[in-house]
Amino acid sequence: MLEKRIRHLLLDARAIARKQGLDAEFNFHRERSSLIRLGNSSVALSTYEELSRLDVFVQQGRKSGAYSLTSDITSPAQLAEALKIAATNCQSSLEKDYDPIFGVVEEAVDDSAGFDTALEALSPVTKTELCKKVVDAVKPTGRYDFSGSWSSGSTEMYFISTANENEAYRRLTDGRFTMVLKEQEKKWELQVERTQKKAGDFSADDVIADFKGILPVYEKNPGYKTQIAHQRVMFGPEAVSALLGLSIWGAFVGRMWEEKRAFSSHLKPGDRLFPESVTITDDPTNPNVFGMPFDFKGHRRHPRLLCERGILKSVLYDSATAAKYKRQPTANDLGNDDFCMSGGTAPAGIDAGRRLAKDALYIPHLHYIHMPDPTKGMFTGSSRFNARLIKDGEFTAPLLSSRVTDTIPSVFSGIVAISSRTVPWNVSSTYDRRSPTAMSVPEYIICDNVRISDVADSF
Amino acid sequence: MTKRSFTVSTEFDRQVATVKAELKRMLDAGCSFADARLYDEDRGERLTLYDGNLETNYGANERGIGIRTLYKGAWGFAATADLASIPACFEKALANAKAATLLPGFPKDMGPAQPATGKYRPPVKQDPFDVPMSEKLALLSGIDARLKDNSVAHRYVTAGFQRRKIYYWNSEGTEVDRWALNTFGSMAVMAPDPQGRTQRRTMELFCSTGEGTRGYEWLADPDAFGGHAERIRKELAEIIAAEPLPAGKRDVILLPGQGFLQVHETIGHALELDRILGYELSFAGGSHVRLEHIGKLRYGSDKLNARAGITPNSPGTFGFDDEGTPQRDYHLIKNGILVNVLSSRTDLAEANAKAGRVAVAESGTAARSCAFYRTPIDRMTNINIDAGSDGTLDDIIAATEDGVVLDVPVSWSIGSNREHFHFATEIAWEVKNGKKTKVYKNPTYHGHTLEFWASLDKVGSKPSWCLQQVPNCGKGEPNQIMELGHGIPVMRFHGVETGEKE
Repeated sequence: MLEKRIRHLLLDARAIARKQGLDAEFNFHRERSSLIRLGNSSVALSTYEELSRLDVFVQQGRKSGAYSLTSDITSPAQLAEALKIAATNCQSSLEKDYDPIFGVVEEAVDDSAGFDTALEALSPVTKTELCKKVVDAVKPTGRYDFSGSWSSGSTEMYFISTANENEAYRRLTDGRFTMVLKEQEKKWELQVERTQKKAGDFSADDVIADFKGILPVYEKNPGYKTQIAHQRVMFGPEAVSALLGLSIWGAFVGRMWEEKRAFSSHLKPGDRLFPESVTITDDPTNPNVFGMPFDFKGHRRHPRLLCERGILKSVLYDSATAAKYKRQPTANDLGNDDFCMSGGTAPAGIDAGRRLAKDALYIPHLHYIHMPDPTKGMFTGSSRFNARLIKDGEFTAPLLSSRVTDTIPSVFSGIVAISSRTVPWNVSSTYDRRSPTAMSVPEYIICDNVRISDVADSF
Repeated sequence: MTKRSFTVSTEFDRQVATVKAELKRMLDAGCSFADARLYDEDRGERLTLYDGNLETNYGANERGIGIRTLYKGAWGFAATADLASIPACFEKALANAKAATLLPGFPKDMGPAQPATGKYRPPVKQDPFDVPMSEKLALLSGIDARLKDNSVAHRYVTAGFQRRKIYYWNSEGTEVDRWALNTFGSMAVMAPDPQGRTQRRTMELFCSTGEGTRGYEWLADPDAFGGHAERIRKELAEIIAAEPLPAGKRDVILLPGQGFLQVHETIGHALELDRILGYELSFAGGSHVRLEHIGKLRYGSDKLNARAGITPNSPGTFGFDDEGTPQRDYHLIKNGILVNVLSSRTDLAEANAKAGRVAVAESGTAARSCAFYRTPIDRMTNINIDAGSDGTLDDIIAATEDGVVLDVPVSWSIGSNREHFHFATEIAWEVKNGKKTKVYKNPTYHGHTLEFWASLDKVGSKPSWCLQQVPNCGKGEPNQIMELGHGIPVMRFHGVETGEKE
């Protein structure tokens, strides 16, 4: 459970809110984050941040107001002031044309199962030493530069409201390691990435082996410029997670669906959305994800089927959308959902995938992917790291930058194989507060008739 | 506004004294440089009306300190919101720098000391945080009412305000007292077209001259924002009734509402020195620009003049950057030739050593950080295109046989080295034989950066130039969202691939 001092301050603030007749929610977030950044085969930056944030939300009837404070929370006066500002914002607010849903902690949660003391304390020295081992082992074998980052840390999330006495608390650790090897002259880039839940989840030897496994094709062959055409593509895990992310936004976000802005808007639950091979869930119990047990309206999170064997089962409602459209919230008032795409029946392993694909483009990453038209599910993005030509089941050449512009429904309808093995793919964003997020995705999917819309002369 | 100087508060005085003592201690501990940014206040406010409902009514404040230390050529950074533990934060930054020396690269060097003392206050008439909420909501509600129409399925109008009070000190004796105050506004109308695709028309708060003030008065100026509600509603109706833009090669005329993105993605990011040196490779990407290109590379036609400008009415104007260097105004591209890049003091020595010459003579004053808990990195300031001499939008249209006028990004996708791009916009107006003929929907265009800028053949005169704000430029690890501006004239590009081939 949350440190006593802070917890009591927050419980006292809740008591004050009650005394003042305010419906108030308190969302406390604390992170200890450290990151090393690699550039030009060196540690370019080493950072540490220790931050506490408090969000106070006040609702009165159809009015609401919020205030967020990033500061060291030390005194009841700070909390009283934050509550006062949120209440003032609420008071001067406008009434909505619907009845908003107030946060209620449905079930008390005290979850530190995902916390690893060693990962929280993982030092920049340990990180640097691992990276140095990789650099020392691989750099001398070519004209290579390494870049990347390794973020690790701990996150505490605590949510209470004036609605009841329940407290929801989660503490966990996470890490994300990314190392990029770039050939100095030819400019191709290889990437190795790892998601951590505990210290020691991977070793330098694993990373070295991954780089050495990819390098020969890049070293021995010139870049391959493919045709602007519809082609067979084997997408790797990052690309699958990008496609899954766009699918969520374009098909399963309740507001998009209700407002007819989703490519699933013309369907109702029970209708076919994707081919039978596609099953998508929001599943906090999946071992590949970080598994958020509650959302920031206090809802307990349970596995939810979004698409089962291609059939649309449900969409996601945050509280505001649910209130507006008179639906039930689905415990998705959070930024770190747990989206999963189920594995298929194809053999596990990228090598097995390439043999199955036979002649295809292998695009494991889609860089700078955007969706200009969610109503059609149209997206565009470029190949980048580790992309290769597959010929007769073998990786034969690195792929020059190739742009995919297609629609999600079209790409998924072209699926010919899905790996039976799923892997975690870390999609945590560090734009704002630390928020460990991963998807569970098949390590590859093979799709026919994917539209390659542009090809470059460079990587 | 309430004012705070270096001497008004005992608590603050104690913090200042601690910071100065710690900066000295860092030098004694072997650092060649150290600095501290104390955010005494970082206030934000966002109000969003969506379909008439106030869906976002949010205020925030952040307070804390960020410390950088440069030890044996390696950087360490630490930040804390606990201002009682400033010495521990310095210690953590030093420990981080020491750890970084275990895998050393080109030793970082800030170059000759450049002590500066100064103060910056942005031009503001009315501090938005002093404006009553009721007044702000009345303004937004009024605009919302003008956006509302039976033909509009969804609409939003949003306003955002920032006020930051930042104090900066470094081990060279620099002391800067700097405020940032920014005002943002955006509105949009959306509706499905007959094919079910959601179309939208958006309008952002802009400034037609780049001069003036950037307080609440800017948002309240109907010419700069609210007065455009009816126009975008009417244009949405035209988009809904329009055919998709047929694929083909044609001239493209970018209004500043789209031109800013073109500049941002294919000039701004490509010219950031940290990207050129490879320090952003694993995340944001690299650049097609190499150090040897500086002073030599033909980036575009001779009509292209791009500068890191000081534009008063822009969030990209900040007085001093986050290394305490006074902001400069300088050309990046002159008559089509790349002459400079966006830089900070941090990477100059490395860039010049690797170039084997003085490729970048002085800091481009682009060291910027989005919060006390993020370290400064090379960021865009105001990347402006100088106005040309080809007249107004109407003049450029009159000189165009076959083209389209494009406005406002819908999506953007670009290669990691910024060499090829694919952009979609909200609206296209067909131009045939010197006249705007009709509206097209779903416009897209794509190209390769240098070829595209080489095709720049018309640059509008000053009346066509305006400042567009970018409130959400993302870069860095940990990621940072930064605010900046682009002053852009109307520009025409010859023979561009547009539309989507089936």
